[in-house]
Amino acid sequence: METLSYLAPLFQLDVMWTIALGTLGGLIIGALPGLTATMGVALLIPLTFGMTPVMGLNMLIGIYIGGIYGGCVSSILLRTPGTPASAATVLDGYPMAQRGEAGKALGMATIASTIGGLVSAVVLATLAPQLAGVALQFGAPEYFALALFGLTIIASLSGDILKGAISGILGILISTVGADPISGVMRYTFGVQGFASGFAFTPALIGLFALSEVFTQIERIGLREPAITLVKNRWPSRADMHESRGALVRGSIIGTIIGIIPGTGSGTASWIAYNEARRTSKTPEKFGTGHMPGIAATESANNAVCAAALIPLLALGIPGDVVTAVLMGGLMIQGLAPGPLLFQTNPEIVVGIFGGTFMATIFMFIFGMALIPVFSRILKVPRRLLTMSIVIFCFIGAFSINLNPVDLYTMVGFGVLGWGMQKFGFSQAALCIALILGPMMEANFRRGMLQAGDDLIAMLSGPITLLFLALTALSLCWPMIAARRAARRTQTN
Amino acid sequence: MTDLRESKADIWIGGGLLAFCAFAAWRTLRIKQGFTTSIAGPSFVPWIMVGATAVLAAFLILRALRRQRAAGADGVAVIAMPDRRTLLRLGVFALLLAAYSAAFFPIGYLPATLVTFVLGLLLIGERKPWLLIGFPVVMTGAVYLAFTELLSVWLP
Repeated sequence: METLSYLAPLFQLDVMWTIALGTLGGLIIGALPGLTATMGVALLIPLTFGMTPVMGLNMLIGIYIGGIYGGCVSSILLRTPGTPASAATVLDGYPMAQRGEAGKALGMATIASTIGGLVSAVVLATLAPQLAGVALQFGAPEYFALALFGLTIIASLSGDILKGAISGILGILISTVGADPISGVMRYTFGVQGFASGFAFTPALIGLFALSEVFTQIERIGLREPAITLVKNRWPSRADMHESRGALVRGSIIGTIIGIIPGTGSGTASWIAYNEARRTSKTPEKFGTGHMPGIAATESANNAVCAAALIPLLALGIPGDVVTAVLMGGLMIQGLAPGPLLFQTNPEIVVGIFGGTFMATIFMFIFGMALIPVFSRILKVPRRLLTMSIVIFCFIGAFSINLNPVDLYTMVGFGVLGWGMQKFGFSQAALCIALILGPMMEANFRRGMLQAGDDLIAMLSGPITLLFLALTALSLCWPMIAARRAARRTQTN
Repeated sequence: MTDLRESKADIWIGGGLLAFCAFAAWRTLRIKQGFTTSIAGPSFVPWIMVGATAVLAAFLILRALRRQRAAGADGVAVIAMPDRRTLLRLGVFALLLAAYSAAFFPIGYLPATLVTFVLGLLLIGERKPWLLIGFPVVMTGAVYLAFTELLSVWLP
């Protein structure tokens, strides 16, 4: 009964409007090539200032869900993935568009995204409270080990492990700027008062993910835009749905499981789901030629990641992927610290987020199906005007958080850094996650050391701590094991 | 677009990171120890990170050198870099943003944004007068009203 009363605010008209607008905005952002869900959330965090937590956070979740779905539009119509999560959709989506079946491909992508989203939303509402209950037993050593495990996400986030590790370590070093969390001693502030509390997190994120993209867009201006395919019909036939049902179920399950594992993200989920759908298909040769189950698998998987990635964020305070890392900024603006305590101190917000995830998925379906005929027009937005509009939003967003002009320089600095990192293959996501987990790791390590009288072995000897340390070791070794297995498989073939 | 060999870029980046580590190490020496009795003081984590960055930067250079030596007829990985004109445009754009940051608070949102918007559009090649003037005016005004009136966010 209490839970139902927590859901009541979701059905207020202004809250529903905000979630709907967030989902629509995310869908448009995701549909435009180069603009990602991460960028959308980072850019629109400042809009949540004057909102209640349930309203603001669900708007951001709407942007996230809409943004991940929207990526399929340019994948199918332009052969250019709108977001990395939709890269696998190109394989079957674009050939369908070339055959004049773009509408059906988009329709299947919408249905698959909705099914994947709803499945993982159910898992979120079921699993997150249980996990939070376990996490309540954690002390400083456990949190240190958990943060360390989260930091090994870096290995999986970056194609180049060495560059990913450098990005992550630099992120931790950057996070040490400002007052030391235990003694309050100033570090690397160069006497600038504005840096006393470190680099402001949200302006840094806006710079890393939104402003850096502006530089990339400027680079591309002048290049020839690809031709856009016309869209007709939108509903897949009953036979298409029947043929894709296995891929839909498997994609939703794979996406949900991968979403729960910190750091893997939508891109990984959609590729694994695609390969799994092809492996188990009776007609694997049809994949890559414009085959409905291919779209069903990738799109159900990438949207299933959205709600599932919220599980480690809400229950443990560890972001599930890079978008949820940015979402943490939204929680912080509302004065909320994600983690198990949130379930005890603010259950109405947690339940509101669960309900909002369902609602945003349903809005995504409605807008997705309704807008299919006009998607090709959305893609024709003039690039120059869009680029400069993003700049203005970046500045207002960065400034309005603390009303501190220093944050504008932080944002521009991180924007240039983000562009450079992108250009030379360093992971911005790894840097972002390290900015979040670095302070958590440092504070808990030092607290644990103080409690254990500087005895490192005693500090790390708890069973949960050892479990997380073992997972950390596994996560670090996994890319090497996977590479060796792949090499062996190639040799056998 | 011009191509830059990835290994060459990695050597330069590794060198830059090593120089950064030297600077960071010098700054870390200046961190006061505070009143803590633990060996894990305020400079403990920074030292580990500076050390780790230096080791990984050295690895990056060594890997790039090995790749350079190994690369033969098979070809080498390249990074698509903007041509000189685009690079100059990006540099000027970054300067424009720095100037906008400096002007945002003292001059105020409306004039600073209008000027930046028009200059930015000019810089990225927009030449249609109604878009060059009209769009910035409408957009800047609409954003100002939306934030100050609807969202109650104060703008200078």
